[in-house]
Amino acid sequence: MAKDIAGYLKLQAKGGQANPAPPIGPALGSKGINIMEFCKQFNARTQDKMGQVVPVLITYYTDKSFEFVIKTPPTAILLIESSKVKKGSDQPNRTKVGSVTWDQVKAIAETKMPDLNCFTIESAMKMVAGTAANMGITITGDSPF
Amino acid sequence: MDYLELTLTVEPDFSEILMAELAEIAFDSFIETEDGLQAYVLEGDFEERKLKNLMEVYAEKTPLIYSLKKIEKQNWNKEWESNFSPIEVLDQVFIRATFHPSSEGKYKHEIIITPKMSFGTGHHETTSQMMQLQLEIDHQNKSVLDVGTGTGILAILATKLGAARIHAFDIDEWSVENTIENIGLNNTPNISIELGTIATQKQETFDIVLANINRNILLEEIPSYAKFSNEYLLVSGFYENDVVDIEAKAESCGFKKIKQISKNNWAAVVFKKH
Repeated sequence: MAKDIAGYLKLQAKGGQANPAPPIGPALGSKGINIMEFCKQFNARTQDKMGQVVPVLITYYTDKSFEFVIKTPPTAILLIESSKVKKGSDQPNRTKVGSVTWDQVKAIAETKMPDLNCFTIESAMKMVAGTAANMGITITGDSPF
Repeated sequence: MDYLELTLTVEPDFSEILMAELAEIAFDSFIETEDGLQAYVLEGDFEERKLKNLMEVYAEKTPLIYSLKKIEKQNWNKEWESNFSPIEVLDQVFIRATFHPSSEGKYKHEIIITPKMSFGTGHHETTSQMMQLQLEIDHQNKSVLDVGTGTGILAILATKLGAARIHAFDIDEWSVENTIENIGLNNTPNISIELGTIATQKQETFDIVLANINRNILLEEIPSYAKFSNEYLLVSGFYENDVVDIEAKAESCGFKKIKQISKNNWAAVVFKKH
């Protein structure tokens, strides 16, 4: 018998580090879902993305069970990572207005392809470039467009 | 520590961007809402100046409204805990809450757990598998160390199986309070419990070391467990395809795998010292 969907929840949490605190606690707990079980599963499934912000789409059912899908990292997070300038040590320092190269934009577009409604890498790159513009991140190098 | 909740009304195009920017200033998790987002930060990590700067930068690009409120620490799992079903493990152990009737001796062992936002009620595969493996090991007069005890459920079973002395610890304050409560409910005073990690334990050895945690922590800590265990190490909290890594680590620390069980992709393993 198919289970009845009670709702969806879109959240972002750090890989391998989910705990029953807010927002997971109040958001899932109020639906009667066992949040301890969610955290154990989420942490096991994101153990290779330790500490990275991971988007997750949770479907919860009327019988208090749940399922979830882990999505690719958010474009904005990838842009911030790429725009960070490594200074000597491993302490990354983000300049006030960062910049990325078109090669980095392409790499981000490739990572994001599975979750974007894009048929070509070019259209995915345009979406990434749009997000960069909104964030005030400049793109350096020769534009492929 | 309490969390702060930031509610932000913003256009969809900027919602994801602001989550990423907030993640840079210590916010650790986010919910997407119809009007924008909610973001959460530990009170101690929050710097108001940084939030103000960020909001000023983006207010020039897009309309945004935000508000901040404190969320008091509470048991978020209360709803589920108020009506979960009792559970049995291998027809031998019956785990119930205080609001369930007793099995009246139908099972060899009965354990009462009021979970209060701690892990370990027997419902999760890893907990029931650990219990299943414990049932096969002689605990009579043995000493046991329970790493990351959660509700204290495995420590309590160890007492029921005849262990003489059990020491348990957990990194989470809720868990320590909860274990104390469950020790009382089950009348198992031979369990000692403290807040801490394997690194904060004073060096001594135990016959059996139990650790239901996760792959990353286990891989990091198995060498320490090896110093605390003089015979058995029981581990769980990882997937079947991680067994190979866990096994390699344990073998490099002088253990040999003697049994493995799996259910729904979750695995549990018994190691024994050479």
